[in-house]
Amino acid sequence: MFEIGRLCVKIAGRDAGLKCIVVEVIDNNYVLIDGQTRRRKCNVKHLEPLDKVLKVKKGVSHGDVLKELKKEKIEVKEKVKRIKKVKTGEAKTGEKPKAKETVKKQEKPELKKEIAKEKPAAKPKKAVKKDESKPKKTVVKKAKKKTVKKAKSVKAKKPKK
Amino acid sequence: MPSGKHKSRSMRRVYTKLSGSKVVVHHEKRKPSKATCAVCGAALSGVPRERPYKMQTMAKTKKRPSRPYGGFLCSKCMRAKLKEKGKNV
Repeated sequence: MFEIGRLCVKIAGRDAGLKCIVVEVIDNNYVLIDGQTRRRKCNVKHLEPLDKVLKVKKGVSHGDVLKELKKEKIEVKEKVKRIKKVKTGEAKTGEKPKAKETVKKQEKPELKKEIAKEKPAAKPKKAVKKDESKPKKTVVKKAKKKTVKKAKSVKAKKPKK
Repeated sequence: MPSGKHKSRSMRRVYTKLSGSKVVVHHEKRKPSKATCAVCGAALSGVPRERPYKMQTMAKTKKRPSRPYGGFLCSKCMRAKLKEKGKNV
């Protein structure tokens, strides 16, 4: 029933109602399909065989499958999403990290100064050592939060003046 | 005490547990009936049973299965329909 090149309709899942070709027979129950559907392993129960059998070699590439389907006047929509995703991703990633970097650059030196101001008399050498020896995530997070709050407060103050 | 309109049985009663081992009765409007298959009348799975104001806030993908005739036919009837379609073509 499900020999290589068999034209089928998928009956289950989100690809249901789309046509495909059997590319490889894996099992009694499973078959590799390609065409309008995604190229994927598929249970035979989820396929409805049609009358036609296309002449195709075992394990044909996706491009060749599309050519064969074109001869049968079955059109396959090509994915256009990838280009869009890349564009949007670049735009988003391009904008955000820049902003973050600038914020960090502004904040970091302030932090160090503040810490130095807070504990200048009480053994500054040890404090420096601690920072180096324990670069824990929690410490960093707290510092970031503080900086953010301070930055906000600074921003809020500036326009008033 | 619940007000008079809440005492009517057209409201459903929901027992909610509070902290401190308290149980309180909330009165809510009843849910609509289950969505059914247009062909065989079986209850559809994957279609939430909520009042319209909640359905509005839900995403489209959460309101129906993502297959052809999803939320309209049950999977069995959908398969039967697609088989017929395939044979005709």
